[in-house]
Amino acid sequence: MGISDVKDRFKQMPPGMNMDQAIVEAERCLLCHDAPCSKACPAGTEPGEFIRKLRLRNITGAIRTIKSNNILGGACGVLCPTAELCERECSAMMASDENPGGSDKAIRIGDIQRFLVEHSREIDFQPVEVEESGVSGKIAVVGSGPAGLSCAAEVSKLGYKATIFEALAEPGGVLRYGVVPFRCDTDFVEKEIADVTALGVEIKCNSPIEGKAAAEDLLKQGYDAVFMAPGLWGAYALQDDSANIDGCYSSVDFLASIRNENFDNIISDFKGKTVAVIGGGSVAMDCVEAAARLDTTDVNLIYRRSYTQMPAEEIERIEALQHGINFYILHQPTEFLKDGNKLTGLKLVRTKLGEPDESGRRRPLLIEGTEWDMPADIVIEAIGNKAVDDSSDWYPNVKVDGKKLIVAESETGATSVPGIFAGGDIVRGPALVVEAVQDGKVAAKAIHEYLSDKE
Amino acid sequence: MAQKKPDLSIEFCGKKYINPFLLSSSPVSNSAEMVERAFDAGWGGVVFKTLGSDRLRIDHPSPRMNSMTVGTRKMSTVQNVEQITDRPLKDNLMELLYLKKHYPDRRIIHSIMGFADKEWEYLAKMSEDHGADTLELNFSCPNMTIEGSGDQAGKSFYDIEHYTSIVKRAVSIPVMAKMTPNITDMTETAMAAKNGGADAISAINTVSGITGINLDTLVPQPEVFGRGASSGTSGPGVKPIGLRFISDMAKDANLNLPLSGMGGIETWIDALEYLLVGASTLQVTTGIMHYGYIIVQDMIEGLTDYMASKGIMKLDNLIGSTLPKLGKTDLFDLDRQGVVEYDLDKCVGCGQCLNVCTDAGGQALKWDDVTRRPELNEDKCLSCMLCSFVCPVSGLIKYKAMPEGWKRNETAIRDPSLEKELKYEPYVHDGDDGCLV
Repeated sequence: MGISDVKDRFKQMPPGMNMDQAIVEAERCLLCHDAPCSKACPAGTEPGEFIRKLRLRNITGAIRTIKSNNILGGACGVLCPTAELCERECSAMMASDENPGGSDKAIRIGDIQRFLVEHSREIDFQPVEVEESGVSGKIAVVGSGPAGLSCAAEVSKLGYKATIFEALAEPGGVLRYGVVPFRCDTDFVEKEIADVTALGVEIKCNSPIEGKAAAEDLLKQGYDAVFMAPGLWGAYALQDDSANIDGCYSSVDFLASIRNENFDNIISDFKGKTVAVIGGGSVAMDCVEAAARLDTTDVNLIYRRSYTQMPAEEIERIEALQHGINFYILHQPTEFLKDGNKLTGLKLVRTKLGEPDESGRRRPLLIEGTEWDMPADIVIEAIGNKAVDDSSDWYPNVKVDGKKLIVAESETGATSVPGIFAGGDIVRGPALVVEAVQDGKVAAKAIHEYLSDKE
Repeated sequence: MAQKKPDLSIEFCGKKYINPFLLSSSPVSNSAEMVERAFDAGWGGVVFKTLGSDRLRIDHPSPRMNSMTVGTRKMSTVQNVEQITDRPLKDNLMELLYLKKHYPDRRIIHSIMGFADKEWEYLAKMSEDHGADTLELNFSCPNMTIEGSGDQAGKSFYDIEHYTSIVKRAVSIPVMAKMTPNITDMTETAMAAKNGGADAISAINTVSGITGINLDTLVPQPEVFGRGASSGTSGPGVKPIGLRFISDMAKDANLNLPLSGMGGIETWIDALEYLLVGASTLQVTTGIMHYGYIIVQDMIEGLTDYMASKGIMKLDNLIGSTLPKLGKTDLFDLDRQGVVEYDLDKCVGCGQCLNVCTDAGGQALKWDDVTRRPELNEDKCLSCMLCSFVCPVSGLIKYKAMPEGWKRNETAIRDPSLEKELKYEPYVHDGDDGCLV
């Protein structure tokens, strides 16, 4: 198989619903009063409303509901762990006192949402417009991930001029560089971003706001407010020198390289190799699925707790198993095995579950005398993202916590510096796209209030 | 010993039918090849696609049909613009001979339509000479492009009686008149047929209607090269109309003719309902258009099992059983009232009941935001039953008759303080103002 064949496996996400399927689902909807699905959406995307509109064939209205509430409604439809959010609350599961578990499936809300957004493109329908509010002002947004795009869209709808500064070559943040394209493809991401720029948002790529107080300086450069949403692009590692070992990747670098010029190198590096991925979250699942598409021989997933404790969505776990990923659950990696600086494997210890830890999940305990060596040519560490080491230098007066996460008010996104707001992963730590969207919405409203009060 | 199976056979106009299920005269009975397959599937007879004399050419409009989807229910009603057969009479008669020859236990009814007195006579004789068990006179196709034919004749008492009497004089086999529902009172048109000598009535033909409009071209569908027309609408959506007309005729003691019922039959339940209001044979088209001839097996099986469960061994014993309980609304006992009752253990908490009660009912429900359960105030319940219709759980909401003498609260006045602005005086009936009661 040539490089272009391998690349083809990454290009597109599986097709979504069509109109007929969406209508079948909308017809199943119980059209709940005070819809629980709507209440469960962190970004207020109002599935109860857009599904009712679809049911009554008000299809353009349904699209308008999604996109005016959540400018990245398409991406959320694709990426949200809906089984944990809107769909978990769905009354169509028919749960009752007699039958608490319910006997039916939730409405496929995420799939409907994706369909409606894709349909808007098919019929060339632009659902969101800038309001004639008479306000003026310039807003700088740092980072073009979900939080930044959402905030920029919202302030633009109010009439402000928003400029997004993006460090990387293309906009999208995690949507582009943190998610594999076969889960959310580039074309789809770009159309979501186009809905933002259609509102007049300017995105400046290759424009990192880093270095001494660079973020705070934006206020001096004529911006009336700043929204910080740079995300978390540092990677936790098993040991400090992980990055220097030949054959060791962080999930951040690995996933980003799929969408950049390094992809050709990755393809040739992985061919015929045994890959071990450490972690149990959605990012780890993206990594194993991606590795499996790279003509590798074996892909092993190593997770220190049990299957049911994995943070990854159930559907992601099942798909990984179906795609032949070997799950090494209850295994803790303790050491990289090397030949010189070349990785040869991992030392693993079996674990058992003890008392629950602060996350509420039972703590993994090492079982003595169970060490064994797993051969591996490549290890991808997918054990979490963190703030870039020097990020707090970009905003020295903004209060950060011990993990270098920005301290911001949850109701407003306001930081300790007036005029600087923040949201997304840099505030929450690793969070969902839909939560970042909400942060952008909340901050946009607060920025508007802040600037209105200032006048 | 195995219990004896209920018998679905029936006599209609002096002829024995193995079961009451017939193909109606329509696209589903257009050829011997089609009807043969229907008979093999179990249909008891056919009313063959209406024969014409070949004097006037018949061309079917294209496209021929449109379907109305309600929710995900496809073909909830179907609209067609077909006319009578476009095949030569000679071909059709050969087809009918074939069916007669190979299916001696099935009843072959010839539907005919003339455009002049002599034509009716000619077609009737041709049919009798080619083995028709019975004739059906098509006074009811709403799609004919030939002036004065189809349901235009069926809306004229004179035409119905006149053509029926011509046919009756021409042949000795039984004659059934097929009526259009596009009138007010079918007992009157049916009586015209009886006066002309008709031995039975079949109804309803399709309801003239418009199932949809193309929103880009603004042409009603089916869109026949830029033109649309109100035309024959059929399917589940017309069942209430069919049941109404059949029951009207069945209750009419002066009419007193056997009835062949149709209009929206696709399940044994629909079929049974037509039998209960007085039909003794049943005709189907749209159900077949949707599901194929196979549905007769479900109708036979379902009806047989129903009869067995009720201990009814003869189909005759079912026919018209509902009629004594069917009357005018003025016979209702309005002193008795009731309310709904909820089995909340089954509730899934959707709250559709609340929506309909609040916006279309008696505002009798309160909602607990936390438990997501409705709370009924019986005194305000109108027993409209809307909540039970939208409830996704069958049997959760039921009607409950209240004790005699129970009354519900009157609807509250929004702003009682407006009483001082009233210019109201009560209506006084002096007994001589033309009031009915």
